[in-house]
Amino acid sequence: MIGETLRARIDAEIARFPVKRGGLLGALHIVQEGQGCVSLAASKELAAIFDVFPVEVIELVRFYNFFHESPRGRHQVYVCTNLPCALRGANVLLKGLEQHLGVGVGETTADGRVHLGREECLGACANAPMIRVGGVYHEDLDLAGACAVLDALE
Amino acid sequence: MTERVRIRVDDVEYEVDAGRTVLQALDDCGALFPERDGKRPEQTDALIPHYCWHPKLSIDGSCRLCQVEVRAGADAPPKLAIACNTPVSEGLVVDTKSETVAAARQGVMELLLINHPLDCPICDQAGECKLQDYAYTHGVDHARTREPRRKAKKRVDLGPTIVFDQERCILCRRCVRFCREVTGTGELGVFDRGDRSVLETFPDEPLDNAYSMNVADICPVGALTTKDFRFKMRVWFLEDVDGICTGCSRGCNVHIGVAKNAVQRYLPRRNDAVNGTWMCDDGRLSYHEIAREDRLTTCLVREQAIGEDSPQLRPASLDEAVAAVAARLRPLLDAKGPGVIAGIASAHASNEDLRAFKTFLDVLDVDTIGLAVARGDSDDLLVEAEKGANGAGARAVGFGALAPVADRIRGGGIEALIVLGHDLFADGSLDARALAGLDTVVAFDTHRSPVERVAHVVFPVRHAAEKDASYTNSAGIVQPVQRAVVPGPEVRDEGDFLQRIGAALGLAGFETETETEAESKAGDGAE
Ligand code: SF4
Ligand code: SF4
Ligand code: FES
Repeated sequence: MIGETLRARIDAEIARFPVKRGGLLGALHIVQEGQGCVSLAASKELAAIFDVFPVEVIELVRFYNFFHESPRGRHQVYVCTNLPCALRGANVLLKGLEQHLGVGVGETTADGRVHLGREECLGACANAPMIRVGGVYHEDLDLAGACAVLDALE
Repeated sequence: MTERVRIRVDDVEYEVDAGRTVLQALDDCGALFPERDGKRPEQTDALIPHYCWHPKLSIDGSCRLCQVEVRAGADAPPKLAIACNTPVSEGLVVDTKSETVAAARQGVMELLLINHPLDCPICDQAGECKLQDYAYTHGVDHARTREPRRKAKKRVDLGPTIVFDQERCILCRRCVRFCREVTGTGELGVFDRGDRSVLETFPDEPLDNAYSMNVADICPVGALTTKDFRFKMRVWFLEDVDGICTGCSRGCNVHIGVAKNAVQRYLPRRNDAVNGTWMCDDGRLSYHEIAREDRLTTCLVREQAIGEDSPQLRPASLDEAVAAVAARLRPLLDAKGPGVIAGIASAHASNEDLRAFKTFLDVLDVDTIGLAVARGDSDDLLVEAEKGANGAGARAVGFGALAPVADRIRGGGIEALIVLGHDLFADGSLDARALAGLDTVVAFDTHRSPVERVAHVVFPVRHAAEKDASYTNSAGIVQPVQRAVVPGPEVRDEGDFLQRIGAALGLAGFETETETEAESKAGDGAE
């Protein structure tokens, strides 16, 4: 269920656009942030709010990498493996983090603490390699530095 | 009035409505293949291959196959543009045949084929597949890629009517737009992106609506196929006959697919005044009734009175049945006159047969006449409440409401009833009990029905797919149909039987030798 607080934020988002459905992408971010994912049930609710077909919401959710349909752990860690980061050892970094966490790319640790993913360019090439933890960038990393960042997460 | 502009497509000049795009304008002129609804292109058709554009759906512009070279005027430089989304303008010159156009199409075909499975030998669409056709006419004959083709889901059960093959889908989104724009049900979407894009339904929900099978028609490839026709028959064995659906008074135009003297499928046939390019699923599947087990194949007569421990109706020869009717009606006419006879028409009979019936009743001087029709659900798209193709035709011939006839029957004023079709009891004003007291009931029908239980003589008549005839739809449009299949030898038109009955009764103007007979004599050995 999309609760009152989220609903109020969604309504504010809708108000920013000349047509209602313009706010849908923003609403997906709001829901994912608030509920940890955009579940199928939430997609249906959003479809009703935005007067679109439920498949249209799923089309958006599955088009963008940012959205996911089931919860992915408390912290989402994404390693950029695009060219500049790759040249600076991002793939080695990713392998190392896999070992450190004991999970593969696209998986979540058993305690639900960290989800590890791979990402395309995040625009921080000058400070490659880098990882994104939620909305926060950590740049100029080596494996030890990255592990330290992850270990500090609750 | 809409402003008109002149455009030139290759060597032909067209005057078209401003505000249309090139493909729309050509379609408006009836000059676009295959939208004009020819199975084969004709010389006057503009040949602009296209996948995603459809005359009854919004413009998508996603397949890029419809590229042509356009020039704003004879001297302007040419540029490639998609014909489906390029607006017409005065003096627009369209070149569909240049080398640049050919190369552009080839490029598009090559990209579409990169991931297409080599399924044609086992694909039901083969023979009427636009990917196959255009690969042949506009594609390249070899692949330059060595990479493995994309793997995706095969044989996905999309719902009660449709099976989906994800690998064959070229992502034209016609089916997606159909479900959103035409039925308003929105079951389908394209998920993910780039070369991972796939057509899907909302997770675990089916494609299920009253018009769902149209998606198989508009799918240019073999991605969407109907469970009904899938693997039944290679399409090149089908003969294509123009017919109509008899499910309701809309009278949707159909292509009747015929093989081995049996109807194998109905496909909607475009008629913008009637059904556009669609038909409902119930109507599409209604062809099954033509060869159903309960079809009447011979005349039937009953000798004892109804209600006694009487034998079932027994098969009888044509002459026997005609004689039985005459033997019952003649004494009644002589003793009590035509006032005790009633005639009830059906919305299933053709205009020709209804006129024959009316003439027969007029010559007899019977004036207790009416029309029995079944009513059911309707919707805003095509389906009409009146279930039968020719209610309007029957009313035009002079058959009005059933109520006065039913009242007279229940009031005991009627002793003989001549009835077409099986909708006699549909509105509830009459039932078997109300008819049990009648001296004579003569029925003409395609199928066994409860009417038979009270009938003394039954004549087996032809289905709309079995005759050259016409039907008038709810909008008053008279629609001709052609005979698609030949019924059993004893199954004839109502008019034919009535002609014989009239002759047996000695009515003026009725002769025994009928058209059907003459025709079948002439046709002997021709089959
Ligand atoms: S299933 Fe057919 S109609 Fe639908 S998008 Fe794919 S190719 Fe087009
Ligand atoms: S709408 Fe009526 S005529 Fe058209 S296909 Fe359906 S039943 Fe047949
Ligand atoms: S028909 Fe024009 S782009 Fe597909």
